[in-house]
Amino acid sequence: MITFDHVTKRYPDGTVAVDGLDLEVPAGKIMVLVGPSGCGKTTSLRMINRLVEPTSGSIRLDGQDVQAANPSELRRGIGYVIQQTGLFPHRTIEDNIATVPLLAGWKKQEARDRARDLMTLVGLEPETMAKRYPHQLSGGQQQRVGVARALAADPPVLLMDEPFSAVDPIVRASLQDELIRLQAELQKTVVLVTHDVEEAIKVGDLVAIFRPGGHLAQVDTPERILGAPIDEYVQDFVGFDRGIRRLSFFAAAGLKLETDTVVARSTTVADAMAIAARAGEPWVLVTDDAGAGPLGWAATSDLSARPSGSQLGDMRLAPVGHTFRPETDSLRAALDATILSRTERAVAVDGSGQVLGTTSYERLRDAISAAEDAADRGEPVPTAARVAQPAAEPAAQAAAERTDGT
Amino acid sequence: MVWSWIPQNGTIIWQYTLDNLLLGLLPPLIGLAISVPLGIACARWRPLYPPALGVASGIYALPSLALFVVLIDYTGLGNVTVIIPLTLFSLCILLPAVVDGLRGVPEPVRQAATAMGFGPLRRLAQVELPLAIPVVNAGLRVAVVSSISLASLGQLIGVSSLGYFFIDGFQRDFPTEIYISLFLIILMALICDLLLVIAGRLLTPWRRDAGGISQAQTRAAEAVGQGAT
Repeated sequence: MITFDHVTKRYPDGTVAVDGLDLEVPAGKIMVLVGPSGCGKTTSLRMINRLVEPTSGSIRLDGQDVQAANPSELRRGIGYVIQQTGLFPHRTIEDNIATVPLLAGWKKQEARDRARDLMTLVGLEPETMAKRYPHQLSGGQQQRVGVARALAADPPVLLMDEPFSAVDPIVRASLQDELIRLQAELQKTVVLVTHDVEEAIKVGDLVAIFRPGGHLAQVDTPERILGAPIDEYVQDFVGFDRGIRRLSFFAAAGLKLETDTVVARSTTVADAMAIAARAGEPWVLVTDDAGAGPLGWAATSDLSARPSGSQLGDMRLAPVGHTFRPETDSLRAALDATILSRTERAVAVDGSGQVLGTTSYERLRDAISAAEDAADRGEPVPTAARVAQPAAEPAAQAAAERTDGT
Repeated sequence: MVWSWIPQNGTIIWQYTLDNLLLGLLPPLIGLAISVPLGIACARWRPLYPPALGVASGIYALPSLALFVVLIDYTGLGNVTVIIPLTLFSLCILLPAVVDGLRGVPEPVRQAATAMGFGPLRRLAQVELPLAIPVVNAGLRVAVVSSISLASLGQLIGVSSLGYFFIDGFQRDFPTEIYISLFLIILMALICDLLLVIAGRLLTPWRRDAGGISQAQTRAAEAVGQGAT
């Protein structure tokens, strides 16, 4: 746990970078410091490993005042990742990663073995990459090396200063997913600085929003930041579409699905019309066999023009469009699938692609209200998986990054 | 051109060549030994650099012959009288090279090194100095080449070097001597330069195929080389 106790940083010219900061970073969580330039977020981060010394106040790491520690020894116990990577241009990738273990007095071979393990962990192939120099890697790969180097001596704390700002959006998204995946495995205490509120909401367990002048505006979970911004500043900072974005935090599992109007392709037109009429639905979803994969939508208006004894599988169907998986997806994904569908309905499937049911705006509205009410009352809400897409194979991702140029 | 002059005077040519080489190489080496610590100090305590650079540039502007004459009163007609001015000249080239080389270390690299727990000395030895090698080596090449050719001037105050053949050839109106010694000086300078290029490549394996940072450093190194010549 990292504790800021009334920490102030005032520079000799009178500029106050951080003003009386009180903040607690719980062990094993990702705390994201976010705010506009000059709000003191980076200064706050750098005071943890004493790259910047506070003017007053204290910072404690697991109860120990960092001011009391030897700076070099303190820093070897704190991983540090920066935007420009700061890799050593004159050292190979494996020696870059082995830096802290070597400083800590490990044997060279042990340190290199460890470096190669970490390369695998962050999705770089040791066989091809270990002996290369940083400039021979793409930006995304360099940033992975930066993360591996920070983790090399297995420090309990990781500081990340705009770690993904210098790479293109696609690589950034994959690095963010990777961080979430690594964190699930490693449970470090992470402090990450960014100016990108999207990133803060995506990777943070907790988000601390700074105001200009080094003051904290709000510290909360991402869902609460979106759902209950403390004032207009935070509201403006998180953006106008926070209502939609908040839905990312609500699992689609609570959605009540329509199942009556899911019919097999062998159903007759007459039966389908009866089912639709009973449910009061203008569409039925046609599947290839009962409970199996979705084929397409049939409109009741089209059904009336068909011979009543013919089967649904013989007619032209409207495309299924995007599907969603209630067990892993969020309400935002369900809403998105619904918006994109011409039938104003979306199909829920399970992991094997079998139809679970369908949803509509009305059903979504009920689920959203229920989730928001529960969250606003402070009740636990089932949350969606942090990374909606299953993470791609690290090696495949690294291969994709190789094409983004060095 | 009287080719037979060469084998007839082989021993003395060889002797003067060696003398010239030593007289030329010693000053840049001493200059390097002084400019590395001085450059480190100037890079760390910035206010120190402008006066240090001013003094060095002032010395560089002095005619070497005038320096010899001034020094004769103190150090006599010996090697030292030649080595001191040439060392000062080397220093003028090497001090900026060391300071620029150290300042050329990217700030994120320096910061990352500190944040990973390098103390100031270790950071200097393991990160900053290695990264300054290309720029320092570029300065060293200029210093060595100019020092080897300037060393021949030592003959004017009686210190043996290939300059002997310039004076002798001129006095006897015998240009062969002048051509041969000129050729030998250029040859020595080129060989030393080549050896330094090779040494530089061996010391900086990360620059073998030019990439972002090493390209920037190459440019910095070239700028130093041009500024000094």
